[in-house]
Amino acid sequence: MNRQARRLRAVFVAAPALFMLTTLVVPALGGLAASFDRGGPSFGNYAALARDPMFWRATLDNLLLPIASLALELAAGLAMALMITARAKGPAIVQVAAILPFAIPEIVVLTIARYLLMPRGYLNGALIEFGMPPAQWLAPHGSLAMLSVVVVDAWHVTPIVMLMLAAGLQTIPPELYEAARLDGADRLATFWYVTLPLLAPAIVGAAILRGIDALRIFSTVLVLTGPEAVPVLSTYAYGQWTDAQAPRVAMAAAMVLALIVTLFALGGALAVRRWSSDPGAPA
Amino acid sequence: MKPGARHSGERGGGFAMLGAALGGFVIAAAVIPLYLLAKQALTPELETFAWPPVWLPRDITLRNFAQVFMVRELRGAIVRSLSVGVISAASATAMGAMLASAMARASAARRVGFATLSGVRLLPMIAVAIPAAVMLAAIGLYDTSDALGLTIIHCAIAIPTAALTLYAAFAAVPAEVEEAAWLDGASALRVFLTIDLPIVRGALATAFILCFILSWDEFGFALLLQQTNRTLPPLLYYYTVFGNVGPASALAILMTVPALCVVIALGPTLRGALISGGSR
Repeated sequence: MNRQARRLRAVFVAAPALFMLTTLVVPALGGLAASFDRGGPSFGNYAALARDPMFWRATLDNLLLPIASLALELAAGLAMALMITARAKGPAIVQVAAILPFAIPEIVVLTIARYLLMPRGYLNGALIEFGMPPAQWLAPHGSLAMLSVVVVDAWHVTPIVMLMLAAGLQTIPPELYEAARLDGADRLATFWYVTLPLLAPAIVGAAILRGIDALRIFSTVLVLTGPEAVPVLSTYAYGQWTDAQAPRVAMAAAMVLALIVTLFALGGALAVRRWSSDPGAPA
Repeated sequence: MKPGARHSGERGGGFAMLGAALGGFVIAAAVIPLYLLAKQALTPELETFAWPPVWLPRDITLRNFAQVFMVRELRGAIVRSLSVGVISAASATAMGAMLASAMARASAARRVGFATLSGVRLLPMIAVAIPAAVMLAAIGLYDTSDALGLTIIHCAIAIPTAALTLYAAFAAVPAEVEEAAWLDGASALRVFLTIDLPIVRGALATAFILCFILSWDEFGFALLLQQTNRTLPPLLYYYTVFGNVGPASALAILMTVPALCVVIALGPTLRGALISGGSR
């Protein structure tokens, strides 16, 4: 009986795993092979990337955007997590509202954001009502457009960061807060010396998961600014694929992105491993 | 006992005000954009194009929604999105259940399972979608009107969500229940079908809904694999970019309703799954 159960388990693992490998990993490997192919094995596609200034801008933006996104999302997510786990929770509507943006489909979020941020959009309309000058929130090649992308992305996904950090906050034993209070620590000191160090694993976990998604950013940039105003590697590859009709260069760019994501995830995994094997490490 | 509030004593006034301000901001950030979208969907385009903007609706109409259902392309996209979502979610839930049940019982399966699931989650959409488009074209599954190629891909990217949602449920099934059934002579497959699955049916429903929403919202693969036979997200993208404000807003509202209902109805039970899921 046990042997039969073991055999069934093997099938139950192998079938879905093989299905995912053939539908996702095999195409990715095919893309990797094609990226080294120019009518014969060649580094030509990567050389073409290296000659294109737009590729370097896309790579730079692809590194800057996630840093800005993570900083904003972690800060806002932490503030919101502290708010919804506080004893004085406030009305339930705050809790629902805190999660609501994530319940909206991403493409709808981006549609709304376009109407808010376009030159004659609601944001500029509101600024004028309050007697302030309007701005070009999505103007190509500006840092303002990058800021818009970061804020819109954060609006959509901060609820997830909030939930991850709230889960972490709830694992901190209340006795520690009691002890800190008896030692005369004020709120800021308690936050700095109790909450933050104990929350660090949750923060690192959230940063890794969100970082992976932020590196792969595609739709936010494409819908808000088009493929070229704030180029990232995904939209650059998409542009090479559709507009430039250069599928192999597109695949080479996609592989550069895959490499960056993999390195980031490996680094994150190593950091977590060192962290958990050395529990006494300072925060 | 909730942390963070242990010190709301005499010095709490400033923090309470800060919390109230943050709460107000959170509500405004959630409600105002949705309100403006709903206003655009329910008023004539002329009102939407007014400058400076009109903040309160003057002329309520359902014409934009009527237009959505009159355009054949849109009706087709709604049907296609539903079919891709239902088929991919059902298959992903089935395969996720297989994987999760094995992972819940054997450590070797757990290792292989988690390694595969996290490896798959690392792949950037663009690195899969472009070569997949080429390969699907070679076997005649690229941009077909039944969107079979996209259905297969959506199923594959949803399996991690399904498996991680179901894992805890399978792990909670007592091993003694299975062993008792074996002693009565039931085969392992029969135990899985008639004992395990009924016990975890609640989690199966949750997994199906999450996978459906994942497919319903998915934009990148849909954009690249269904160039002309579109599903709803890419169609909304083209409507938005090419300035059909009225129908685009109505369509956006229609797309939001299912996802919103799910998150509000299932609420807290979704949290764990939402945290682990997602893909881009």
